[in-house]
Order: sequence, then structure tokens, then C-alpha cells
Amino acid sequence: METLGYLIDGFGVALAPHNLMFALFGAFLGTLIGALPGLGPSNGVAILIPLAFTLGLAPETALIMLTSVYAGAMYGGRISSILLNIPGDEPAMMTCLDGYPMAKKGKAAEALAISAMASFMGSLIATVGLILVAPILADFALSFGPAEYFALFLLAFATLGGITGKNPMKTVVAACLGLMISTMGIDNTGVQRYTFGVLELYEGVDFIIAIVGLFAISELLFFIEDKAGGGKEKMTVNKLSLKWSDIRGIMPSSIRGGVLGFIAGVLPGAGASLGSFIGYTLEKKMVGKKGYFGEGDPRGVAGPEAGNNGASSGALVPMLTLGVPGSGTTAVLLALLISLNITPGPLMFTQNADIVWGVIAALLIGNFLLLVLNIPLVGIFVKLLSVPPMFLLPIVTMVAFVGIYSISNSAFDLYFMVAFGVAGYVLRKLEIPLVPIILGLLLGPEMEKNLRHAMDISSGDWTILWDSGLAIGLWVFAGLGLILPYIMGPLLRRRMASETKTVSEG
Amino acid sequence: MTFNDRIFGVLLIALAVAYGWGATQFPEPFGGSEGVGPETFPLLLSVVLALSSLYLIVRPDPDNAWPWSRTGAELLIAVAVLIVYTALLQPLGFILSTLLAVGTLCWRMGAPPVRAYVTGGVAGVVVFLIFNFALDLALPLGPLSVLEVN
Repeated sequence: METLGYLIDGFGVALAPHNLMFALFGAFLGTLIGALPGLGPSNGVAILIPLAFTLGLAPETALIMLTSVYAGAMYGGRISSILLNIPGDEPAMMTCLDGYPMAKKGKAAEALAISAMASFMGSLIATVGLILVAPILADFALSFGPAEYFALFLLAFATLGGITGKNPMKTVVAACLGLMISTMGIDNTGVQRYTFGVLELYEGVDFIIAIVGLFAISELLFFIEDKAGGGKEKMTVNKLSLKWSDIRGIMPSSIRGGVLGFIAGVLPGAGASLGSFIGYTLEKKMVGKKGYFGEGDPRGVAGPEAGNNGASSGALVPMLTLGVPGSGTTAVLLALLISLNITPGPLMFTQNADIVWGVIAALLIGNFLLLVLNIPLVGIFVKLLSVPPMFLLPIVTMVAFVGIYSISNSAFDLYFMVAFGVAGYVLRKLEIPLVPIILGLLLGPEMEKNLRHAMDISSGDWTILWDSGLAIGLWVFAGLGLILPYIMGPLLRRRMASETKTVSEG
Repeated sequence: MTFNDRIFGVLLIALAVAYGWGATQFPEPFGGSEGVGPETFPLLLSVVLALSSLYLIVRPDPDNAWPWSRTGAELLIAVAVLIVYTALLQPLGFILSTLLAVGTLCWRMGAPPVRAYVTGGVAGVVVFLIFNFALDLALPLGPLSVLEVN
């Protein structure tokens, strides 16, 4: 009941006219970001963070806008999967399997509409799940001491690659690099660390500069290398003719997908890719021989798309309640929270209740906005999709420059951003994942603080780190997060690969 | 070929050693040493990094090819453009430097030169106007400031 009261207050925040306006703006922008080539959700949100500061937005408004962008990007990703058979990001892969065949049969508009509805259902279910689960988890997390938090951060790093991840050791390397960068600057005992006497480094490395550099600049370099500057073929979308019975037909698939996706999103290490994969395979099993999966079965579009969106809303649960993001984009949202001086974690639900519940309400409203935006406006998004990257990416890069420049008006930050971009390119070439670096940068100070607190409590006895049952449990899961990919990874990846292959051949 | 990971692993171990050595050089914090000083966490990190990079050397992944010759040169050009853009942003002003930087990038990515620089110019002017008038944030104008209406 308490939750309901908070939620109503949250609606009060989210429905304030200017917040609603920014939610709409964010939803539109997000769909664009998701649809456009070379702009993943994390990349897009990262570039928009400095702009949110320049606009001088209130914390809840900035957060509402960027969560709408986040939700919108998940909607946008499906457009290129369906029309071009090119998944915008990994979780969208499963949508290609039946979405593209539908488009080839001249049912592109139906596929887009169905996927929009499935996305809506998935997000709706997951947001309701978030409302139910988050306060419970936040209450539980209040019992965490510094040792438990330290172990929890380790768990976050260990499971970041997911059980389908390739080489967990590279995640460890990346996390170390991020944490090392986070130790630069003056620490809280007043000692200068790794500043090399450079004044600009005294306050440490601004993670927004690092994020924008690593994502946006390295993306530009990858496009140049792949010579992917040319546009894509022109696409046409037929006129929509959707019957009520069609919508009813996909509802069970959407609901199943949404529930599964939410669970996959909340659990560490599963993530949206696994969510949409399970959503698809389950749909295939449930429908059985009556379906025609791989040849444009609408249920094969609805299941994974609902799973994908459910997982992305589910991923907000650990981010909001524990301050531990489970994906790249939620890590970027965490960066926004930290720069707004809001400490994420269980206390946020009591100290910044208006913001948390405002954001959750905005997520619900954003979903309705997105559904309304997506069905009539799909033509505009399709047109924008054919903007060739050779014009788009330089402009995006320029916007990133302006955003960073507007934070501090210093050229030093821009050079730093370019350096991060080059480093990001090299690391991606070496298949070192970038998200753990970002997470390391973000969580480093908190992690060290908790280590210090734990040590102060035990007066220097390291065993405190695994002294409670809870802490041991977290350590065990962290260990599993690193070991399981070696055992399960090849198996799961092979199954996912064969699934996509048999379908695209058949 | 598995050189990439091995070379990178060696570099990382060097980094881990340098970083760890750096941590031992921190001055003692004011008020005497504690259980966990400023050097403890960095030392922990350097050990973990050294061990995981050792793993990269022992069990490397297959290489991704590096772009040499033409493509590599294009990449260097792009990075150079970004650096020059940063350097020129203040002296040349936002609009002119954006015209040059975005134009050159579009052109090198395959757009016809005229359209590329027109895109750069239009993008520069539009973003400048948005920032200066809608967002009230002054971007440098450079030599174009003679056009400014007071």
C-alpha cells in the first residue's frame, strides 16, 4: 500500500507538463537513436548526458528524459532488424528471425506494429515487476554492510560478461583498467594518486568524458575502418492492415516473453540477449508444429521483442536498488545519477523517493507515449534510417564534442576524450569489453570506500570480507559468474548460432 | 595468430608493475597509517591485473586483423582531424572549425566533397544557433565575431 502512495506521488512528478514534454522528447529521440546505424543505446544516452546538463534540467527531469531515451532506444532497435535483417544490437538478433521474413512477404508494417505492441507489453509487465520487486530488494539491501557491498561489486563485475560471454578474463582485465583509472586524483585522505602533477587530474577523470570517448569516438573509427559510410537500400513500408484478432493472437506470446525477459533482466549475468533468446525458443516450443517459425510467424516477432524490452526494464531493478548496473546502458544511467549527486542504492528509495518513483512512473507513461509514437510515426523513422552514416557519424561526433566542451569549456577534456576514443578502438580490436571499464570508473570510489569501512570495522582483519553468510553467497556467485561462461558459454553460443543459422538458411 | 593478446598482456603486466610501484610511493596520509591506506586498493588492483594479463599471455585468443595501409591511414587522418578540431575550436571559432572537421570527416567517409563541407557548415551553424540562443551557452565565435550584432 505504501508503494501505491509513492507511485501516485511519482505520477504527480512525471505528469508535470515540462517533465511530460521531456519524456516525449526523450522517447522520440530514443527511438531515433535505436533506429539509426552506429548509435547504440548506451552510446546515445552517453552523448545526451552532457546535453542534459547544459539544458540545466532538474535531476528528476534529466533522469526522466534519459530513461525515456533508454526505453525508446529499445523500441527503435527493432526497426532495422525487421526491415533490413540487421540487428541494431545483440538482443535484437532474435527479432530478425521472423521479422525480416514477414517484411519480405510484404507485411513490414504489420511486423513493426506487432513488435511495437509486444515491446509495449514486455515493458509494461517488467515495469509492474519493477514496482513490486524493487522496494522489497531495497529493504533487503539495507541490511548490507560494507563487506557485503564490496562482494556485491565484485559480483557485478564477474557477471557483467554474462554466461554467454566469451572470455571472462578479459572482463577482469577491463574491470581492473576501469578501477585503476578511478583511483586517479586526490583520494579521501587527501593523498594525490597518479596525478603526475597535472592540475586537471587532481579531481580525477570525469567518467562522462571517458564514456563518450570510449563509445562515440571509437564507433566513428570502426565505421571508417569498415568503410560502412554508404547508405542502405531504400525501404518501403506497406499500408498497415491489422485485425483485432491478430493482436489477440500475439498477446500470450508477448506476456510470456515479457515475464521471462524481466526475470532475465533482474538476474545478474543473464541480460537482454538471453532474455530474447529464451523468449524465442520458448515460443517455438509452446506453439509447436502449428507455428511457422522462421518464415514470418508473428508470434516469433512478439516473443523475443517482449523479452528484450522486459529485460531492459528489469535491468533497472539492480541499478536502482543496489546501485549496481547489469548492462552497458544502465551503467550509463548510473553515471547520470552519480553526476547528479544522487547516491544510487537502497537509501535512494527513502532519501530521493520523489525521483525514483517519478522515474518509474515516467517509465510507464513513456511506454504509452512510445506505443502512440511508434505506430503512426514509423514512416518517419524508416526515412531517417536511410540517412547514410557518412553524414550522420561526423555530426554525432561533433555533438559529442560540443557536449563535453559545454561541461568545462576546456580543450584538455576534448583531447582526453579523443585519447579515450583511440584507446576504445584498440581495446575493441583486442576484444576487451568496454562496459566493465565504465563500471570500474563508476564503482571504483564506492568499492574502495566500502573496503576501507570494512577494514576499519575489523581493525585490519581481511577475513571480514567473507565473514557473513550473505557475503559468502555473493562471493560464490561472483566465482560462478567467472567460471560458468567457460562451461556453459560455448554450449549456449552454439545453440544460439545454430538457431539463427538454420532459420536464415531455411 | 595470437600475437595481439600476448603483446597486450606483456604491456599490461608492465602497467600493473608500474602502477603497483607507484602505489608504494604515496606519502603517508596525514594522521598516520590506517588498516587500509591510499595504497591498499591500488596494490590489490595491480595484483589482479598482473594475474589476469598473465592468463592472456598463456591462453591468448585468435587475433583480429589490424587495418594497415589505406584504411589505417584513413583512421590516422580521422584521429588527426579530431585533434586539430580541438586545437582550432577556440582560435577559429566553433562554426569555422566545425565546417572543416565535420566536412573533412564526411568527405573521408565517402561523401562527395561539396556535399560534405555543406553538411559541415550547416551542422555548425545550426548547432551554434541552438546553443547560443536556445540554450544560452556561448560557443566561441573566433574571427566570425566581426559579424556579431551588438
